[in-house]
Amino acid sequence: MAEPLTPIERTERSMAARTAAVLFMVFYVIGLFLFRRFNPNFPVVYTPIEDHFKYGSIGSEPANGIPFWIWKVLPDMFPDKLPGNGYASFGFVYEPGHDLPIGLSRRRVIIDRLGMNCAICHTGTVRDTPDSTPRIYLGMPANTFDLQSYLRFLMACAADGRFTADNVVRAINARKSLGPLETLVYEQAVYQTREVLLERARQTSFMNSRPDWGPGRVDTFNPYKTVQFNFSMDNDHTVGATDLPSIWNQTPRVGMQLHWDGNNDLLQERDKSAALGAGVTPVSIDLKSVGRIENWILNGLQPPKYPYSVDETLAAQGAPLYKSLCASCHEFGSPYVGKVTPIGEIGTDRGRLDSYTYDFAANMNLLYAGYPWRFTHFRKTDGYANMPLDGVWLRAPYLHNGSVPTLRDLLEPPAARPLKFYRGYDVYERKKGGFVSNVATEKGKSYFLYDTALPGNGNAGHLYGTQLSPAEKDALVEYLKTL
Amino acid sequence: MNQSSYFRSRGFHTLLAASLLLIALIGIFFWYKLFRTVITVYSDPVEHFKYGSIGVEVPVGLPYWIWVVLPRVFPDKLPGPGGYVALGASWEMGKELPIGFTKEIVGIERVGVNCAGCHTTSVRSAPDQAPQFYFGGPTSRFQPQGYVRFLFACAHDDRFTSANIMNAILAIYDMPIVDRLLYRYLIMPVAKSSLLKSEKVDYYWMPSRPDWGPGRTDMNPFQRQVLKLPDDHTVGSTDVMAVWNERAHLSMLHHSDGLNPSLTESSRAAALAAGATKSSIDIPAIDRVENWLLDLPSPKYAFAIDQALAAQGQPIFTQHCAGCHAFGGTRTGTVVSLGEVGTDPHRNKHWPQTSADAFNKYANGYPWAFHHFRSSDGYVSVPLDGVWLRAPYLHNGSVPNMREMLLPPDQRSKVFYRGYDVYDRANMGFVSFGPQAELEGFRYDTSIVGNSNQGHTYGVDLSAADKQALIEYLKTL
Repeated sequence: MAEPLTPIERTERSMAARTAAVLFMVFYVIGLFLFRRFNPNFPVVYTPIEDHFKYGSIGSEPANGIPFWIWKVLPDMFPDKLPGNGYASFGFVYEPGHDLPIGLSRRRVIIDRLGMNCAICHTGTVRDTPDSTPRIYLGMPANTFDLQSYLRFLMACAADGRFTADNVVRAINARKSLGPLETLVYEQAVYQTREVLLERARQTSFMNSRPDWGPGRVDTFNPYKTVQFNFSMDNDHTVGATDLPSIWNQTPRVGMQLHWDGNNDLLQERDKSAALGAGVTPVSIDLKSVGRIENWILNGLQPPKYPYSVDETLAAQGAPLYKSLCASCHEFGSPYVGKVTPIGEIGTDRGRLDSYTYDFAANMNLLYAGYPWRFTHFRKTDGYANMPLDGVWLRAPYLHNGSVPTLRDLLEPPAARPLKFYRGYDVYERKKGGFVSNVATEKGKSYFLYDTALPGNGNAGHLYGTQLSPAEKDALVEYLKTL
Repeated sequence: MNQSSYFRSRGFHTLLAASLLLIALIGIFFWYKLFRTVITVYSDPVEHFKYGSIGVEVPVGLPYWIWVVLPRVFPDKLPGPGGYVALGASWEMGKELPIGFTKEIVGIERVGVNCAGCHTTSVRSAPDQAPQFYFGGPTSRFQPQGYVRFLFACAHDDRFTSANIMNAILAIYDMPIVDRLLYRYLIMPVAKSSLLKSEKVDYYWMPSRPDWGPGRTDMNPFQRQVLKLPDDHTVGSTDVMAVWNERAHLSMLHHSDGLNPSLTESSRAAALAAGATKSSIDIPAIDRVENWLLDLPSPKYAFAIDQALAAQGQPIFTQHCAGCHAFGGTRTGTVVSLGEVGTDPHRNKHWPQTSADAFNKYANGYPWAFHHFRSSDGYVSVPLDGVWLRAPYLHNGSVPNMREMLLPPDQRSKVFYRGYDVYDRANMGFVSFGPQAELEGFRYDTSIVGNSNQGHTYGVDLSAADKQALIEYLKTL
């Protein structure tokens, strides 16, 4: 049996207990402070679905996010690497009252990081005239945004000798004074960010031997080969750059062959695949967030109506032409819509088709391995899928690679389609149905010259309607505006 | 309280019971996480053939997550981009594993191999088409040697550390914490040392032999890995054989040199060579595959046949080939001596009577013991069912296509490329020349030991028109 404690022992015991209690409180308070300050994986939440789509996180920040303040000061530090003034020069869409452009999300992973979300590639703008304010359309192809240039800018910054912890922290302090703890964290973040960006630069260096994407386009699957699987591109010379698609009105698309080559007929996989492209990992993806957007594009987001006047008489003349020439492949409910037309028949540029190889499709079976949503629907196909034409007026330029600037040009035989034109300009061309494509520069901003002679950029094929008379073509274009 | 009364006290008994319970619980935990075996049963015999276990996972199953990330961590050790497809694996769309790979639970999920990896033919009608798979045919693309070499090369690399592999896994999978600890501290080091040990003990002979290339193997896995016979330095590279339509082959000798008349023994021995052990081999699963193969028809030619021309070829076949190669031919399925057929002798010499004797003793005491292994003095004259898919030809796959089979040996190609699965309709075989075949294929050099394309001169003197007709007829088989 234990002996009773002496008074001195009792005092010692209670002293020890008190010290322990005080230490516990101190650690608790420090812990609480650190937790609140650096609480990991905490996205900014937006209640309205439109705001969630525009600014909400899909989980791309933990693996591929750029720390907020580093992102902020890169244009200060490397203005020479920007095509113009600030991030806006990449064609980002900004809304008044918002610090970040549409398409960038914020999530705290120790510190606030910025990642890409769906809206970065699926939100565009339209101006009525060069002097109009751009109207923002959610779910339309990001017609002004040059994703490749933006990524190249980030990677070039990381590769620059001036991208050091000292320099970055100094640049941040010029905007906002960092405390000692934040300074430490940010110094570490600079190293980590540089490592990630240099790795991405190594993985995507093959892009430099291919034509530039230009605004509104992306090579979806080639970077995927290297970033997800570390495939060597030494013997892979495929060019897969294509137009960004619209993502509205998905319910009637359920079960269709999705993606330009129709390589997947499960919408949820298509979306999780796109999320990988935006920078999530199978571990970091925010399924709830992606699910919200999925639900919205299925059940909420509709194609915007043509906002200008339509010549109803002319459109009525175009309707039967559409029915006889286009509807069987492009109308919801028709036999060939959402199915693949073989490349030999459609005759469009085969670069994108060839970039999606059987070998790669096979490996995609292991994406999201270990989860019930592991990919099981990717296929190698032999052509391009027939897309429904809802909101087609906003989906210019046309064909999968965006090689034909307007609807009217698409109805010309390939030899009569424009050989070179400018992309990224958002003033609408009402007569031809598309964007004005002959503006090289405006107010100091340069637009992207698209050359149909470059690999992957061919504007041949899809001869449907090219035999019509000019008057019939005008009528058909007028009708297409109503879709 | 003295000692003996302590041992009799309630407190001690409680402590003892608690300790035993704890030990039992720890034991159950490790058994569950490392040894508990759950084998998937596929009700469809085709799925069973493609993905079902034949019993290799316990001895040589590679932990699933290591298998998943190795091609991403060590892409430089593969012959090209494409992960396991670069090694010629045939991967059906939507499937987690390529054909011929199994995933079973032995504590954790492990990946093994089965018959289908080597016995599924991949064919593309054109370079930009997705491949079609023909079950039971010899693989046109898969490199069994490439696969084990890849695993060994990874295990040798300094980057094969628990930390590196774990980082690669955690980048794509949020592994439960207990599995993380097991993987990091137990499964990973054991997997690495097992691979290195297997290389040293079972595959030490491999570097001193010419490369098999896609679609070929030899008998060293039988002799060195299974039987542990000392290396006799013989070379025996041979084409993988078709295993369809086996009921019609039951009375014939199996393997290129006819080393066993029993299909059942041949099948089981092949499973052992694929990594199964006496205790792990799944006899019922192999029997199931064998039963299915009995009546698996050989696939019809996938392209158009000129029936009139084929009809002209039929009598030529009857006259020149049928005696040895038609079902019912007097010599079909029997051994033709080396002296008579004149083809490369190495594979025959690679399986001496001592190996046959050793195999016949190998499983003594087991109900599935072997009794019928033998050696021979030549090669079996095989029936030609589905011969269009069985190119390249001769036992060692030394002649790229049927057209060259009908050329005098000195006019056959000395170098060609195999492993490119685009079909060559004009010559009956796979495209074996040209830039894409060179890029995707394996350079087959007939001057390398065991690779000779000499011999089998039957039909070489036919007229060009007769050869054309004969080839057309052979497509109908």
